[in-house]
Parts: sequence; structure tokens; C-alpha cells
Amino acid sequence: MRLLKDGEDYFLSYAEGVGPIDENRRRFLKGLVLGVSVAAVASAIPALKFFSAPSIGGASFPKMLLVNANGNAVEASGIQVNSEIITLFSYPLSNEINFLLNLGDASNTPVEIAPYTVSVPLTGASYSFPGGVGPHKSIVSYSAICQHLGCQPPELHFYPPARMKLGMPPPSQLTQAVLTMAQKDNIPACIYCACHGSMYDPYHGGSVARSPTQRPLPAVVLEWDPATDYLYAIDEVGVPVYGHSATLSGGTLLSGNATVKATSNPFPQ
Amino acid sequence: MKVKLSISDWLGERLRLEDLPKTPRYMYRVSYWTGALVAAAFTLTVITGLLLLLYYNPSSPYDQTTYLIAQVPYGAVLLYTHLYAAYAMIFLIFIHMYRNYMSGAYKKPRELLWVIGLVMLAAVLATAFVGYSLVGDVLSVNAVDVAKGMIAVAPGGAQLSNVIFGNGTQISLFTRMLGWHVALVALVAMLFGFHFFLAERYGIMPSMRSKPRAPATYTKDESRGFQPWWPRNFVYMASVVLMTWGLLFALPNAMALINNLPSVISPMPAPSPTSPQAVNITPYPPWFFLFFYKIADFQNLGGAPYTPLEVIAVAAMIPLAYLVLLPFLDRSRELNPFSKQRRLFTWLFASMIIILVELSVWGFLAPGIPVSFTTQVALLLPPVAICGTAVFLIESGSTRRSIVTRPRGIISLLVLAMLLTGTLGGMIQYPTVYTVGVVLSVMFVLLAYVRRSGVPPADGYGEDQSGGNRRANRVRLAEWLAAALLILSFAVAAALWEIPSTGALEPYFGVGLGAVFLMLGEVISLYHYVSMHSYGRDGIRN
Repeated sequence: MRLLKDGEDYFLSYAEGVGPIDENRRRFLKGLVLGVSVAAVASAIPALKFFSAPSIGGASFPKMLLVNANGNAVEASGIQVNSEIITLFSYPLSNEINFLLNLGDASNTPVEIAPYTVSVPLTGASYSFPGGVGPHKSIVSYSAICQHLGCQPPELHFYPPARMKLGMPPPSQLTQAVLTMAQKDNIPACIYCACHGSMYDPYHGGSVARSPTQRPLPAVVLEWDPATDYLYAIDEVGVPVYGHSATLSGGTLLSGNATVKATSNPFPQ
Repeated sequence: MKVKLSISDWLGERLRLEDLPKTPRYMYRVSYWTGALVAAAFTLTVITGLLLLLYYNPSSPYDQTTYLIAQVPYGAVLLYTHLYAAYAMIFLIFIHMYRNYMSGAYKKPRELLWVIGLVMLAAVLATAFVGYSLVGDVLSVNAVDVAKGMIAVAPGGAQLSNVIFGNGTQISLFTRMLGWHVALVALVAMLFGFHFFLAERYGIMPSMRSKPRAPATYTKDESRGFQPWWPRNFVYMASVVLMTWGLLFALPNAMALINNLPSVISPMPAPSPTSPQAVNITPYPPWFFLFFYKIADFQNLGGAPYTPLEVIAVAAMIPLAYLVLLPFLDRSRELNPFSKQRRLFTWLFASMIIILVELSVWGFLAPGIPVSFTTQVALLLPPVAICGTAVFLIESGSTRRSIVTRPRGIISLLVLAMLLTGTLGGMIQYPTVYTVGVVLSVMFVLLAYVRRSGVPPADGYGEDQSGGNRRANRVRLAEWLAAALLILSFAVAAALWEIPSTGALEPYFGVGLGAVFLMLGEVISLYHYVSMHSYGRDGIRN
């Protein structure tokens, strides 16, 4: 009983504001209580890490063979020049889609895409784009997620030279201002986003041709094997893919083959 | 200093602290705070549960649980704490109920308060069932299967089963389990609001000394002499809540560091239902459903096993119906549990609790073994008989006299103490359901006897009655202890920053965090102790 009461003493007794009070002593004790409170808050701070979901992704870029929907390897010389059909594959993460383009001029003759130093207007930094691959060095691949606010195909897609014109319904509606700008910059074809009017130059590493985007499209580095005519995705250059802190982070890393899918034709037939 | 004072004055005025209900001095004992303990555990369960919601995945619950434990920073700490806070809540609800039953708190005007409490009990048990089904381990899958089987035999069972468990696919099941879990907690929270509101309306249950008969409430005049809510009640509450939380962080995480605990108490999930280890797992329910599990093994007089409906009736419906009807059955104004008018009810509830514990132990020791009617009687009747004899023999005099002033009292106490020691020894040597039942009933008798006739009048509880010099020394000791706790808490806090957020060492974070919370609770209660005792009893009294 005695023990029980002593234990209870601890809990119970408190009488602030009653009787004469030794202020200094109480301030000292209040300071102690405050100090332990600070320690308790400090102890809980590391637990805030619980809120950030463990990151997923990969440590390095995989080398992936591009295959078509049947599982057969894509032959570089078989890719249609200036195709209207939105052709995509995921690399290096499952939620990072990219265009596969075989660029040509107005008469659909393949154009050699030279290496280019792409600048990033947002930061002023620049990086080198390795240029096209394939028998005519005309095959390139860019991220199909707009760097402005993340719009994806069909809002964002490639406009071949024959489609650089007015009067097409959405999602392929171009304005006079866009066409004028493309003409001035001498761009025969473009990647244009219908959401907010960003334009990218596929002949120069996906660089920014028209704002509001402040970042160029990242480019997938392709490798062409002349002996087999096969294409491989081996790396990616440029800013991180939109919505990712790094291109290799924020999704499931792919392995094996990358399936190229011809999804849809956004132009009026 | 002046600025600081005016800020606290401003806050106090805006929060209308002076209008809060005043509280009698004797309420600063844990037994007056059993509801607050439940609420503290509930709050922690809700906080940790909302955090865990960030990671739940109904399409692969078991994989996600192992992912949470292994990969998510401090995921294991929160999961184990969530489980044990829920366990503590259930345990404390029974304590809260026991205390209010025995003190007659269900009587006028608190009948509705009691009934709402019972609805909350049912809702909490349902939430707990759904909660442990969310894990997706072999035990949760078994539990869902058992519940489905029981529901299926009820009228309209197929439809009911569809409503509760979905259309049979895994995704439907776990999406619903998650939905029901959250919805039931919301129900409990709303009922809690009502329960708390009513409790405040009626005011604190007066001590049996001051109000031995219902309706037990204080008049406005009587409560005028009480202490203001602020700050003593607040400080005491902070201490109680922080200590509860500290224990609930420290205990399960410490247990997670021990290997091979039985699954009924282990904070870690059992194996996946598809893993080879699942075969070796005894399909236990969690500890609070062990009684239910054992009743399912019972046979009736004819030797046939109970049907699911009979199990539900015996294990849940009949006891619950009795408890709901209790305020309308026990209609005397008497609050004393050993009075002639109440002792039947006292005996019934003491028996219910003892049988509950017995059945739980039984379910753990002999899961799934059928029990004949004669065995049921042989094991459950003696403790009930012991309790009954004691309840009807204990004097129900209205004045308490110290045991030691009467030779008969000393002899009775000695006999009871020896009985308890003997039976306790017996139980340790032969841990069977029977010995557990006997020990519990003897323990009840001893406590009832001491409570009834032994405790000196409880006035001025909590004040140190020792002489001036000794008290001064204790106060100094408390101050030193508080200072030591400050240093210790910073040392632990610094160590916590070094513990990895995942992996085998992760539970140490939970243990440490719990320790710091306990230290904070303790330093606050030391603060009470010192502020009260520095000025002496007379200083406080005036």
C-alpha cells in the first residue's frame, strides 16, 4: 500500500497558483520540462523519412534491343521516313516513353542528323547530342513527355514536313505564329505540343524552338549495328525526363527488349 | 518576461480555460483516468494508422506488408506500434469497463453513456478483426475464412458475406477490408465524441465515500470547491498520454527484437499463406478473440458441437445483451458493489471476466480441441463458485475499518494471502486452464476483501504524508532526477539520429523514441510532485 501510494505521488501532485511559490525553482523545472520536450521533438525528426516513399529505378542504363510488336528486331532501313504515325517505346523506365523518328526533308529523303550542342534555356547549361544513327544517320529518339508541363502523345507529337500547315483539327492544330517561327528557324518538321504551344527541333537534338518550354526534350542514345541492321537503346542524354528527379529514378527499370509500338495517326485522313 | 505572460494570458482567455469543468483533487489517480488511457491509445492508433495508409496496397497486401517492414524508413516501427496501440486500446477498454461496472457508473443518470460504450466496444472489436485481416498473412486469411463460414449460416448470409468481404476476388476483399477498417474507426471516433461529451455533461463520477448512492453527480455548489482544469488537469493528462505513447512505442519494438515469439503476441506478421512455412503455423486468432475461438470447440449436452449460430450467441450476443440491459436490470440506487442489492451483479461480472480470461488461456493452450459439456462445467464452475461465495460473504458494512484493527480481519487476510500464494505456486507448476481460473478467482476475492475493508479513508490522495525533512529530501531527489532525465533524453535523441531507418536495427529507433516519450511524461509528473510538495500540505490546503 505504501509503495502504491508513493507511486501515485509522482502522478498526482500539482498545485500551481496555490500558496506561496518559489518562482526560481519552478522556472528551473519548467526549463527542464521544455528541454525534454525539445529532445522528444528532435528524436521524432528522423521519422519524417517515413513520408518519402523509397525511391525505385536503376543504377545504370540498360542496353535494350528495339523490337516490334511481334517480338522481331526492328530493322533500321525498314523505318518509314517522316512517318505520321506516333511510334513509341519505353526506355529506360516503364513510365518513360520515347518517339522513334526517321527524319527526312520535304521530299521524304532521309536527312543526316549531325551531333549538336543543345542548350537548356532554363539553366544556360548545355550538353552534346550524339546525332542520328542508321544507314543514313537519320534515326533519332526523343522523350515523348513534354518538358513544359508533361503532356504526352497525342497532344505532343511529330509533324512531318507535309503536315506543317494550317487547318487541321486537334490534336494537330497549328497556328500561323508557329508556322512562321518554324519557317524563320528553317525547321522543315517539328515536335509540337498542343497543350501550351511548345515546339522542339528534332533536327537539332530536340532543342527548344518555341517557348513556353524552357527545357529541350531528352534524347535516347541509339546504337546501330550495320551487320544486322538492328537498333539498340543504350543511354539517354539531356535533362531528366519530365516528372522524374533523374531519368533513372521514379519508375520500374526495364530490361530485355524494348517494344516499339505504332500507336495512332493524329492527322486527318 | 512580461510579454510571455501576456501571451499565455491572452491564449487562456481566448480558449476560455476558466470555464472548463473543475476537477476534484482525488481524481489524480490512474483509476480515474482509465477512459483517458483508452483515448490515448486510440489517438496513437489513429495517427499511426493514417500514416500506414500512405503505403497500403490491396492488390498485394502481404508483399506490401513485408515491403513496409523491410524497405520503408521506420515502416516497421509504425506498423508494430499501430498493432500494439490497438492491442492496448482493447485491453484498456476492458479495464475501463470493469472499473465502471464495479463502481456502478452505469446507473442513473449515466445509462446512455454505458450503452454507447458497449456499442463502441463492439465497433472496436470489429475494427480490430478487419485490421488484422489487412495484413494478408496466413492468420488473416484463416480469420477471414472462419468469419465467412460463420456468416454464411446466418439468414441472408451469402449477401451479407458479399457486402463485408466482396465478390471473392483478392482485390475486392482487401479493398473492402481497408474501407471497412477506416469507416469503422470513423464510427468509433464519432461515438467517442458523443461518449466524451456525455461524460463531461454528467461530470466526474464522485468517489463512493462522498456519494454512495445513485444518481451520483456533483451539484454546482459542491464543484465550486474543486480545482480549476487548467493547469493541473492538463499537465496530468499530458503526463498520462505521453507515458502511454512511450510505452506503446517501446514495448512492441523491443519485442520485435526477440525471435520466435508466439504469433498471438508477436508484433511481426505470420508467413504468407502461399509460403511453405504457412503449414507449420497454428491458426490462432489474435489474443482478444481467443475466447471466441475456444467457444467454437464447445459441445452441447448431447455431445454435438455448437453450431456457428450457437457460438455467436454464447460468445457475443448473450453477454452483450446482458451488459446492454444491465442499467435496467440493476435498478437499485446502491453503488457499493458488495451491497445486498448489487452483489449478484458483481458476482456475474467477476465471473464473466474470469471466464473470459480462462477461455483465452484455454484457446491458446488447446486450440481446436473439442470440449465436452462436463469438462466445461468442471473447469469453469469452480472459479465462479469461489467468487460467488466471497461476494456473498464479504461484509457490506457502510463504514470501512482497517483490517489490522480486528483479529478476524488479520486471520482472513492471512488465509486469503496463503491461498493465493498456494494456488499461484500451483499454477506456475501446472499451468492449466483450471489453475488459471482458480488463481484469478482467489485474486479477485483478496482484492475485493482488501478494498472492502482494508483501505484507510482516501482523502488527500497523492500528497506525501511523510515528515518535513524526508519530504524536502524527496523533493530535492525529484529535482535531480528531472535534471538527469534532461541529459539522458538528449543522449538518447542524439543516438536516435544514428540508427538506420530500415533493417535489423530499426526497432531500436522505436524503443528509443518510446524511452524519450516516457522520460518526457516522467519529467512532467516530477514537475507536479515538486511544485506540490515544495510548499507543504498546509500551503496547498488553504
